[in-house]
Amino acid sequence: MARTSEELPGVEWVEGAGQFVTIDEAKCTACANCVRVCLGGCYELAGKKARIKSLDNCLECGACWYVCTDGAITFSWPPGGTGFRSDWG
Amino acid sequence: MDAEYDVIVVGAGFGGPVAAKRCADAGLKTLLVERSGVPGEKVVSGLVIPIYGFLFGPEFIRDGNPPIQRPICSVVNRIVKDGKIFFTDHTLWVPKPITVGYSAYCKPFCTWLADRAVESGAELRTSTTAVDVIMDGGTIKGIVTDKGERLGSKVLIDSGGTQNQLSIKAGLREKFTPEAIELYMLWDFEMDKADVDRVFGNSMEFFHAMPEEKIGAPLGYGSTLYFFTYRESIHPGLGQFLVTRGETPNAAKLLREYFDNFTGTIERWKQDIAPKVKLRSVLWDVCPIYAGLLEETRGMPIYGDGMLIIGDAAGFEASAFGDGVPNAWFSADIAARVAIDAVKKGDSSKAALKAYKDDVKADPFITHTITDFRRWDMRRLLLTKDYSQFKRKIRDHWGIGAFRYSNMGGPCLKAMGRMMKDDPTVVASWLKMFTRYWKNWENNSFDRLSTD
Repeated sequence: MARTSEELPGVEWVEGAGQFVTIDEAKCTACANCVRVCLGGCYELAGKKARIKSLDNCLECGACWYVCTDGAITFSWPPGGTGFRSDWG
Repeated sequence: MDAEYDVIVVGAGFGGPVAAKRCADAGLKTLLVERSGVPGEKVVSGLVIPIYGFLFGPEFIRDGNPPIQRPICSVVNRIVKDGKIFFTDHTLWVPKPITVGYSAYCKPFCTWLADRAVESGAELRTSTTAVDVIMDGGTIKGIVTDKGERLGSKVLIDSGGTQNQLSIKAGLREKFTPEAIELYMLWDFEMDKADVDRVFGNSMEFFHAMPEEKIGAPLGYGSTLYFFTYRESIHPGLGQFLVTRGETPNAAKLLREYFDNFTGTIERWKQDIAPKVKLRSVLWDVCPIYAGLLEETRGMPIYGDGMLIIGDAAGFEASAFGDGVPNAWFSADIAARVAIDAVKKGDSSKAALKAYKDDVKADPFITHTITDFRRWDMRRLLLTKDYSQFKRKIRDHWGIGAFRYSNMGGPCLKAMGRMMKDDPTVVASWLKMFTRYWKNWENNSFDRLSTD
């Protein structure tokens, strides 16, 4: 099953991607770098920690992982055939 | 092991299928693994592939009929000042059917490449994510898939793109430093072919501006707003480095603001383009543009015991163009040659694979383009605000000056000399390519894809 989003036309997400990005709360210093670079709006600050709101609009770019200088964010590929897909890239 | 291969290539983007085809052509048992359902549908790039990739890259691409979108014969560079086009440089052009590149959508192009690998006998497994490497001592012996299969390889070629995971898991590389990485956003707009022909023709267009115009990242800290033109669509896009003047910018907000400011102020957009386009898609991704220029990333290994790393995964992005496709093709060709030799000799140790590093270094394009400082040089302009220097730098870097020996002229002449020495008839193949590609574009006729 593929899901679409009104905010991001022309993109589909195939179900089953799971939690392929995670935050280690103990390492997070709430610098908010992830919030600033995520074009999908996947992150928010909750108290003194960054939190993944939802990976629904994630295009698997990994920008969050690159800017996490605390090493709190882990990023891996979603399982084969799941996650975002596009005909227009 | 659940299965054994001579060579496993991970990633069917632009480089992986080339390496897989080469290895299969040489009779090697070759597996090409791709995490998406169809090759290229997770590859995001506003894409004009520079001509040097087609001329000096794999001959099956040059001699084939891949699905291109539009031949690009010229580059129009515009400088914006006080919200208006202040200067236009149109000195970089070539007469048709000669081109400076071809635009393409990633999905059909990567599928076409993967089809060629399969045709040559490589096995393609789509919807398969390689989650880990199999290590024996310090040697890489294969991959583990998301289905838990253990697949053995004599040589593993990592073509996993910018966010490559396997070479990190293998202990060979670390993630790129964010100073090297650009986050770019692009918009896909449908536009009638007749309108693209009239408004852009066979050109692509760039809008350069000082930061106060707020239509792009500070010069040298991102891709200036570009329009890549396709058959019946256009791809405007722009980028921002993940670290800009020492800080992580609010890129998510800025990229959208830059584009809104551009579309809200620039008459070229408001009058010539906006009335004729319909938004079809919004996308983004990251790419390692300055990996070859930064100390931290330049020295990272591109090979190890039983493993070779190619394309964006190795940081082989042409820094002045922000394009990694030609380097993916060149490095795939080199990696395949080295892998074939290693398998045939039964030695894929690090010492045996060192030839990959040597040949990458000797390649006329890879080292030259990844250390190309033309874009980086634009940072100096930020300090001077000198518009006459701005005009000169644009012309020298991305106008006619792009042909200069120290820019792309030198590598092109070296590659031409090298290839013509091996086979003088290659000149005929180059000319045929230009005319065939042009005819294919005019007739909108390309090779059928396995997905058609």
